[in-house]
Formats: sequence, structure tokens, C-alpha cells
Amino acid sequence: MAILRATQGSARHPRIERLADFASRWAFMTPASVILLAMLAYPIIYTIEISFSELDLSTFTATNWVGWDNYAEVLQDERFWASLKVTGIYLGLALPLQMVLGFAIAYLVNVEWTGRGVIRALFLIPMVVAPVVAGGVWRMLLDPLYGLTNYALGFVGLGPYDWLGNPTLAMMTIVIIDTWRWTPFIVLIATAAILALPRDIFEAAEIDGANWWTTLWSITLPLLLPMIAATFVVRWLGAVKMFDIALASTNGGPGASTQVINLFIYEEAFHSLKFAESAAMAVLVLIATMVLTALFLRGSRMLEEMH
Amino acid sequence: MQQNRRGLGPLSRRTVLIAGASVIATRAFGAPDAKGLGTAEQPVKLRMIADAAYANAWQAGMVPEFNKTYPYINVTIDPVPYAELLAKIMLDATAVEPVYDIIVADDPWVPQIAQTGALLDLRKETAAWTAKDYDWDDFNAAPLAATEWKGIQYGVPFRSNMLLMFVNKTLYKKAGLPVPTAALTWDEYLAQAPKLVQDTNGDGTVDAWAIDTYFKRDQLTPTIWQAIFNSYGGQLIDANNKPAFNDEIGVKALKIHVELLKYAPPGSVSHGYSEALSSFRQGQAATSFMWGSVYRNSAVDPKTTKLTPEEVGIQVMPVGSAHAGAHRGIASGTIQSKSAHKEAAWALLQWFSSREGERWHSNTLGGFPARKSTLTSKPDSDWLVPVFAALQQGYDTAEAGKMWRLRHPKSDAVQQVLADAVAAAISGQATPEAALQTASTRVEKILK
Repeated sequence: MAILRATQGSARHPRIERLADFASRWAFMTPASVILLAMLAYPIIYTIEISFSELDLSTFTATNWVGWDNYAEVLQDERFWASLKVTGIYLGLALPLQMVLGFAIAYLVNVEWTGRGVIRALFLIPMVVAPVVAGGVWRMLLDPLYGLTNYALGFVGLGPYDWLGNPTLAMMTIVIIDTWRWTPFIVLIATAAILALPRDIFEAAEIDGANWWTTLWSITLPLLLPMIAATFVVRWLGAVKMFDIALASTNGGPGASTQVINLFIYEEAFHSLKFAESAAMAVLVLIATMVLTALFLRGSRMLEEMH
Repeated sequence: MQQNRRGLGPLSRRTVLIAGASVIATRAFGAPDAKGLGTAEQPVKLRMIADAAYANAWQAGMVPEFNKTYPYINVTIDPVPYAELLAKIMLDATAVEPVYDIIVADDPWVPQIAQTGALLDLRKETAAWTAKDYDWDDFNAAPLAATEWKGIQYGVPFRSNMLLMFVNKTLYKKAGLPVPTAALTWDEYLAQAPKLVQDTNGDGTVDAWAIDTYFKRDQLTPTIWQAIFNSYGGQLIDANNKPAFNDEIGVKALKIHVELLKYAPPGSVSHGYSEALSSFRQGQAATSFMWGSVYRNSAVDPKTTKLTPEEVGIQVMPVGSAHAGAHRGIASGTIQSKSAHKEAAWALLQWFSSREGERWHSNTLGGFPARKSTLTSKPDSDWLVPVFAALQQGYDTAEAGKMWRLRHPKSDAVQQVLADAVAAAISGQATPEAALQTASTRVEKILK
């Protein structure tokens, strides 16, 4: 009997303990969850709500439910597709360039040489410069009349180029400014990744007589591939949101040659006050970004498994 | 514990908490804000939102001057860059508790803001506080009309701007051309333009151009096209509220705007307000179609310009088949209808737009007046004499040709469409005909 009671008592205890454990976990998690919901989920839900409604500007609230009307209007707007195309061109040029440059610089900076620390510190500067300031400074550097860039190119017989006035060069300008800003970020991650590579494999390769190129191609790159893929996803998520550089340097021009999708959404919302259509565009871009990010993550996982 | 509760009598714990919090809040944040025009003990605190281009100068100069008459009204002016100003105004105007008592709105924005119910009907709601000598009829019709919408006056002109033609007389003389007068036509201007692209120091390199103005993709760039368009008798919309700019006149005006680029400095396709001003002030552009209010810093102040008042002319833009060219751009003071300090806000609006305020503004900061009496008076500085004459000419021209941006709650959306169209034509991404056709379709949809 005494044994039975003891068994019953011990059976009750774990349940109470589990409940207490559950309660205490949620007691810690609730404030963070509430803040997360308020700061993240609410704006997204509100944006989705607006995208299916008319927005009353006098109260700034969604009023009439209009179904898919806003989405239909956006999808019929050739400017939306044009700005998506511009965004695709920018991403297609900027991301590979930044990845290649970032890892290449990290590889070179990783070699022991005097002043390496100073160079690493200097690399951080573009990242902390405000985008508006960066845009303004680059505008001055690229000015066809007074800019340092054309002046310097003149010494080797090139130019002068109208960096901000020519539609093709204006896109190149955006890519250059963005690359100047964000390559250091990739360099930082890549440096950490290279430093974390196991030394013994390289020592073994050296003993086996592998040259510089073989070491890079057959050992370093395969080992770095998962990190390259992860860095690409992180940078992709940052780049897809870019609009500040375009706003500050070209304002989407000349014509609409540098009007990336986020700049277009911003202008439609805050200049044309078409908040509902802008919300629909934002939701479409969010979905497209999520789908592509999922694909990239899957690719990244496959690379990890392969190597 | 029970005794304590009984001791509070009929007051609930909640009431006591609220009262306690109020006392703490009052002590923490100072005395409650005063009503009326304030007193030494309880001054009124006014918040104003304005374009950063002039807000700082107003805070530093205008507010202390205003406080000589109204010492108990503390004014804080928040400067906001023009590109973000309307969005910020709209967000604040639609808030439950708006921050700003006074909104300085640009010319085409009033219908949009007024539609939200955020603006006070000035003639009706402030009548009891209006000075007897405050003369509404003394304002020129064009600047006052900037804040009139559906028969209600929502504001008064603070900084009355007009798009005018700035002339570098020295460059005209160097090119062997007569200094332009207000009778100059677009044909004459364009015929002279090639000669104004010149090498002024004989080093074999072109260092001066005929024009610099708005060419880049910007909401203010279509104002140049529109001024040309209006000078040929064109109007943006017809009596049925439908776009009327996609016609021969509209295309001709856009072709002229595009042609101007041939005679502008390299890279001008990305030039707007700052770049065009810079070229003109450096003595590199013989003309600039620019807002008149920049005259002081373009011709008078040696810290900001290489030019002098003697070599800078100011006049209306060239003449088309109907009028000279001009374009209205009035920054007006309006009062937030939910403001708790309407009387104090009106005191500031009234003082700044009065004869006294206008004179102080133009003589001290170079601000442009809207009153006929101010424009016919003798200003303190000699350089203001030709400026006042050009401004009056501009008001008359704008009034005659209805030269202003669309007055409609969706004017900003329309302006964005026009900006896209003009930018597409200027950058060569579309022909003027195609650009205006696209714009017309989109504007019609917006105005439906």
C-alpha cells in the first residue's frame, strides 16, 4: 500500500513538474513573442489587409474590401514589371560581383602581411556611411564636369563618361556604389570562414605537392562552398531591399532606368499616395523573395551535403 | 488594509492612480501648455513643419522677430527635405493627435491635405482673432489662390515663389548677343542658344553653356515643360477633368524641353535644383529656369555665388504663342484643424503674411512677398527692385495662363506621372509623343 502511494505520488510529480516547466518557459518567452508579434507580424498582416482594401487617407485605415482589385491593377501596370526587370538586372550584376570580390579580397587579405589589420579596419568604413551620404559623395565623384572619376580616367585616355545621365552607365553606377558599400561585409564573413578552415588539410596538400591553384580549386573553394552559399543568401536578402542608393544617386533615372522595385513602391505610396496598390506590390515582392530565398536555402543545403 | 481603503472614501484606486500619474507627469514635463497667446508663466508652444530649404533660416531669424511682438509663443520649426515633406505632412495630418499646429504646404498639396479634414477654414474660424488692418484683398490673386480649395481659404502665402528665367548678362555679352528682355520668344531663345555654348577663356575648351535647369527624373521637372506648354496656351486638363496635354502643343513643349538639353552642360540629364543652381552660380550657364526665391543666393551673397546683382537678370520665361512662361510655387502657412493652439498659430500666420512680416522677410531673408503693396513699395536693398518687378510680372502671367500644377486631391500622383513622362522623353527612352500618350492614359485613370 505504502509502495502504491509512493508510486502514485511520484507519477503526479512529473506531471506537475512538466506543467511548471511549461509555464516557466512561456513566462520567459511571452514578452519576446508579444514584441515579435507586434513588431513583425502586425505590420505584415496590416500590409496584407490594406492590399485587399481601399485606404481612407483621413483615418489611415483600410475601409472597403476590394478583393483582388489592387493586385490586378498592379499586375497590369507595365511600370511594375519594368521596375522588377530593373531590380533583376541590378541583382544579376551586383550580387555575383560582390561575392567574387568579397571572397577574393578576403583570400588575399588573409595572407600574412604588415598593415593587414589597418586594411581590415578601413574596409568597415563604407558599411557605416549613410546611404544618402554615399549616394551624394558618389554623385560628386562621378560628375561629368568636375568628378574625380572622369579626371582620373582621362589620364589613360578614357572618357569623359556621363555616369548618371546614360541609362546603362547609371545602372553601372548603382552597382558600383552598392558594391563599394557591401563588399566589405562579404569580406568580413569570408575572412572568418577562411580562418576557420582546418589547417591540417592544407598541410597535407602541401606535403602532397599541391600548388596554389590546386589548393584553391580543390580544397579551399569546396570547403568554403556552404559558407559562400549562406553569405549569398544573406546578401541577397539585403540587396533585394535596396532603394536608398538609387534614391540618393539617380532617383530612379534617367527615365526609369534605375527605378528598382522598392523605389517604385516607395514613390507610389508616399508620392502618389496609392498605399493600397503599394501594399499589394509589397506583398507580391515579399512572396517572390520568400520563394527565391527558399530555393537558395535548398541549394545551399544541397551544397553542404555534397561537400 | 481595510482601514486604508475606507480612508480613500469614494475615490477608486484607479482614480487615485490616474491623479497621481497626472501630478508626476505635470511635474516631469513642466506646466500644462497655455491657450490663447500665452503668458509669461504659461507660454504657448507651437510646432511647425516646413521645407528644410528655408525652415532653418526661419527658425533662426523669423521666430525671434515674431517673438518681439508675441513673446509668449514659442515656435519650433521642424525642417524636412522637400522630397519627404508631403508624406510626413500626410502622416501627421491623419494622426489621432497630430504633432504640428502649422503646416507649410507647397502649392499643389492643399486639396490633398484639405480632403482629410486636417486644415482650418481660415476666413471663417479665425475671424474673431483677425486684426482689422489685415487686408486680404491686398494679396495678388495668384499666390492667395494656392491655398483656396472648393471656395475655402486654407492658408496664406508665406514664401511666394515663381519659376522665372535667370540671366547671366556677362555670358550674353561675351557671346555677342543682346541681353534678353521679357519679350524674348522661345524661337528667339532657341536660335540664340548655340551661340551661348562657348569657350569664354580661349583655352579651346567649352566652359559655358546656354542653360541649366531641371532635366532629371523629379517631380519638379515637369514644371519646366508645363511652363513652356502654358506659354503656348495649353492646359493640363479640360473642363471635364480629363487630360488635355496630349496634343500638338504638349508635344511641341516637350520637344523644346528636350532640345534645351543640347545646350546644357555635360551630364545635365541628371541635373535638378541643386545642380542647375550650382552651374548658374559658378557662371557656367547663361540662363536658368529656376525658382525666383534663389535670387539672393545666386546674385547677391558672395559666399554662395560668383555673380553680382549687376550681371544677373531676372524675368519671366520666354514667350510662346499665348503668354510669357511662368509657374507658380507658393509655400503657404496653414493651420491644423485639430491644433489646440489655433489662436497662437493664426497670430504667427497673420504676422508673417502681413505687410510688416512680408517686408521683414524680403528685406532680411530675401523671401518673396505676395502683397501688391509690398511689391510696389521701395525695398531696403536695391537688388530687390528688379526682383519685385519680375515677381509681379510672374504673378500676372501665371494668373492669366493658369500656370500652376494640377489642383486636385490626386495632384501628386499626376505630378509623378508627368515626371515619368518628361524623364522618359529627356532620357530618350520614349519619344515625346509616346511619353505623353502614356501619361495621358494614366492621368485619365487617376482622375476617374
